[in-house]
Amino acid sequence: MPFDPSSPDRAPQWRPQLHRRDVLKGGAFAAAGLGAAPLLAACGGDDGNSPAGSSGAYPLARPDAPVTLPIFDDNQPIESGLQPEKADALRVLNYADYMAPGVMKDFQEKYGAEVQVTPYNNYDEMLTKISAPGAEFDVVFPGPSVMSRMVYGKLLQPFQQSYLPNLKNAWPEYQDPWYDQGSQYSVPYTVYTTGIGYRSDRVSDPSEGYKMLWNPEYSGKMGVLDDAGEALGMAMLAWDITQDINTGDPELINAAKDKLNELIPLGVKVDITQYETIANGKFTVHQAWSGDMIAARWYLAQGATTEDLGYWVPESKSDVVIGNDNICIPKSSPSPVLAHTFLNEVLDNQIAEKNFNWNGYQPPLDKLNAEYLIDEGYITENLMSAVVVPEDFATGIKFYEQTPAVENLYLAAFQEFQSGGN
Amino acid sequence: MTTVGIDAPGAEKTWDDTGRYVPPPAAIKPPKKGFVPPWRNPWRRPYVLATITWLYILWSLVPVLIAIQFSFNDSRSRSSWNGFTTEWYCCGTEEGSIAEGTSVFGAGANDALLTALQNSLTLGVVTTLIAVPIGTALALGLTRWRSRTSNVANAVSLFPLVTPELVLGSALYLVITTLYTQIGLGRNALILGHVTFSISFILVIVRGRLVSIGSEFETAAQDLGATRIQAIRTVLLPMLIPAIFASAMITFAASLDDFVVSNFLFGDASQITVPVLLYSAVKAAPSPALNALATILLMGTLTALLLTYLVLRLRRRGEGGSALDDLAGVEM
Amino acid sequence: MAVTEATAGGRKDAATRFLWPSLAVPGTAWLLVLFVVPFYGIMAVAFSSQLNILGQPIPAWNPLNWDFTVMGQVIDQSINGTYRSAWEHTFIYTGIAMSVCVLVGYPVAYYVARLARGNRGLLLALILAPWWINYLTRMLAWVGILGDEGYANDIVGFFGFAKVDWLGGQWYVVVLALVYGYLPFFIVPLYAYLDRIDQRLIEASRDLGANTFRTFFRVTLPLSRIGVITALVLTALPMFGDYYTNTLVSNSPTTVMVGNSIEESIQSGFSRGQGASLVLLLSAVLLIFMAYYLILTVRASREAR
Repeated sequence: MPFDPSSPDRAPQWRPQLHRRDVLKGGAFAAAGLGAAPLLAACGGDDGNSPAGSSGAYPLARPDAPVTLPIFDDNQPIESGLQPEKADALRVLNYADYMAPGVMKDFQEKYGAEVQVTPYNNYDEMLTKISAPGAEFDVVFPGPSVMSRMVYGKLLQPFQQSYLPNLKNAWPEYQDPWYDQGSQYSVPYTVYTTGIGYRSDRVSDPSEGYKMLWNPEYSGKMGVLDDAGEALGMAMLAWDITQDINTGDPELINAAKDKLNELIPLGVKVDITQYETIANGKFTVHQAWSGDMIAARWYLAQGATTEDLGYWVPESKSDVVIGNDNICIPKSSPSPVLAHTFLNEVLDNQIAEKNFNWNGYQPPLDKLNAEYLIDEGYITENLMSAVVVPEDFATGIKFYEQTPAVENLYLAAFQEFQSGGN
Repeated sequence: MTTVGIDAPGAEKTWDDTGRYVPPPAAIKPPKKGFVPPWRNPWRRPYVLATITWLYILWSLVPVLIAIQFSFNDSRSRSSWNGFTTEWYCCGTEEGSIAEGTSVFGAGANDALLTALQNSLTLGVVTTLIAVPIGTALALGLTRWRSRTSNVANAVSLFPLVTPELVLGSALYLVITTLYTQIGLGRNALILGHVTFSISFILVIVRGRLVSIGSEFETAAQDLGATRIQAIRTVLLPMLIPAIFASAMITFAASLDDFVVSNFLFGDASQITVPVLLYSAVKAAPSPALNALATILLMGTLTALLLTYLVLRLRRRGEGGSALDDLAGVEM
Repeated sequence: MAVTEATAGGRKDAATRFLWPSLAVPGTAWLLVLFVVPFYGIMAVAFSSQLNILGQPIPAWNPLNWDFTVMGQVIDQSINGTYRSAWEHTFIYTGIAMSVCVLVGYPVAYYVARLARGNRGLLLALILAPWWINYLTRMLAWVGILGDEGYANDIVGFFGFAKVDWLGGQWYVVVLALVYGYLPFFIVPLYAYLDRIDQRLIEASRDLGANTFRTFFRVTLPLSRIGVITALVLTALPMFGDYYTNTLVSNSPTTVMVGNSIEESIQSGFSRGQGASLVLLLSAVLLIFMAYYLILTVRASREAR
């Protein structure tokens, strides 16, 4: 197998655009004024004005600086009016246990394609898998914090809106979100907050909040999310390091890392199966997403009841970490019409309700509002703290897309923590 | 040989005039009648070692038996026993069945488990079919061909054997995602990876046999008028068959067993193998269905092994030595 | 012999002069393309200085473009930084595990190879069994036994002790799991070696009056030295590269080994360069073992010729 490293078809998918030293130097140039009109991910020597596609620069969307993602000439939406492909499989790249098996089975029965889930633990892993040469996926579930990168890296394909009539079921703000104006690449999947899940029958004082994790009482029985941003951000908030969980300041990130390192002697675990492990008693406290605790009722050990589950988020709405996940269609999708159909199905009120019943994550659909879900008995009294309403997004703390340099600071700090600190 | 420790404690070695060794008095003393302490008797039965061995065997196999036991557990737990059921194997179809939608076979099956089982078996067979001919040819070539180049090739071909799978796996992963991008992660990458780690031990096994055969038989055949290729085909290859067969078995088993390389090289869920599935499921939400899957795989391996044993035994008849020794003779 | 062969070959069919080299070609080519080049690929990634839009390093195939910044950082962090505890754990855990392998594995291999009489076949089949059972199945078994409600805690409870959180990041559980996983890889090669020791030497020693222990320490043990070393190398190599055993029975930053750091960073985008550098460092450490083993093997095969 002869190879010529310089030949263009051997060249990696993306042009070089960052010098590693710039990235390693840290966020020196990265923290530069958040909130300035569409920020561009800085990159050495690139003025950021070069036409998208050849440039690696990508805009950093913020609620006060919304972004319309470009549609590239070589990455156009599919035609409208096509029949869904007759595929054997719909390849989904998703978190494990993030979609109800029943919903996927129904889809298979209706369209003949088996829904195959390839799981990942965090966006870093997701990006690696989806960008691997030869990777073919039909559906992926990224959050706003990776949208630009994925679009500019040409990993996603723009929608043909005519296949997505059910998008009208979504909350108005998600029909035209700030990170993807006009919903050209994404439809909303879930909304959630990040807090602390716990066993109320074993925890003495849940009002400790985040600091429950640092309480030696629960040593060996606690864990944090396997997600650099979530874990470090939580440490920042818990110890008043900063309220800005998107900070690019290496000192603040380091301070948060040091706090996480304090958890190591306490036997911390790093995973995202808290919906199961809190319920079955393996953990007493674990950083968790709100949906996990609502879903935890399916995993309760014998003798435990939903009454034993608890979920803590800060009292003040403005201190709550809140987020949402989207569904997108990868550019590599072999069955794009089927993928559109799948997205549309998931936005269907009934199907979304069935899905919510299983995975516990609220879909941002008007009909499935908090009142309805509580009335239907999906959310019990003790888990009211896990409910998300649209207004929370105006006040809550959100994760934003970062420059590669800042991103790297977070990942490096988190890896240090995962490697046992020092 | 004279230096081997035969001197009695505390005694100087002495020799007579002719240089013959004179045993110290202690050694010539006739043994006391009656009781001989066990450490004095070299021919006693080695009870202590036997005990250690049997304890080791218990320790190494009982956990596996327990894992099999829990594949029949009538509860979602893999550690506390709750009664007997076969639902994890088949047909957890009824609403409310503990194995609903997660059993290995049948209508209520979790398709991912069966897919993984099929993938593992296919991958094992394909790997064996590709790797055994290449490895055998390499063994023939490297054993008989002597030159400077062959020495280099020899050293290179042994390296994969001693390279930790983690190193091989990450190397293949990096090169397939950056250089050999036409291959792409997935089935082809898995086959290439598995063949790569298999070639070396096929080489070692077949070469071991080749060296013990020597080249006399071929030479004789050639002297009797056979061409070299005829000599190989009609004389050498038949003699190599047990080694080739054993290496095929081991390749197949190693491919089924491999986790690290597969975990690096699988592309998406449709190409996942059983070990990769077991690993990710143990990290996420394990259920006895995994034990059932592992048990099925184990039964498969044991059947294949038994077949090999019987075949080797049949061939071995009259040759002396045991087939088990053939299988154990995998000194890597 | 060589002469006969050469003349025979030359006389009968000169065309087959290239037979042996051509038989060796496919295998050698395969290993060049899929072993040597990939290994070079690790270097190209570790020494790369360019990143793509997702922050993944773009391999520097040309050695002139190599940049050793990341490598330097990783070495620095291995000595006193992020990776230090991972390296410490790796050396300590594998060290203890290998000692246990010798203490348990030697007697077993010795007994089966030299002393077992009637039931030798059975014993051999039983010690070979774990070799054939899927590694992850065997680990899966322990994960069940060591679970909170598992048999291990039943036994502990029976003796009146408090439940132990076996899977909560205990270093001794990791070591035991490593021993359990790799002991068969120690026993089988050692067995094969011990099996070949000339029984007459041992009988001679006994006939000359040495007792059991003396015979063992002065005859058998020195004769089996190379067998032990080979078996140890074959056990050490995979143990150093192990990460999944650790993940399955601990999955905690308290017991992280260098394999875990590698696996995590290679498969992630941003730290892939760090991962590749760690692989190179690990390979350098293991090269000592590998070289030793290869020298032994090559010497043995040369003697056998």
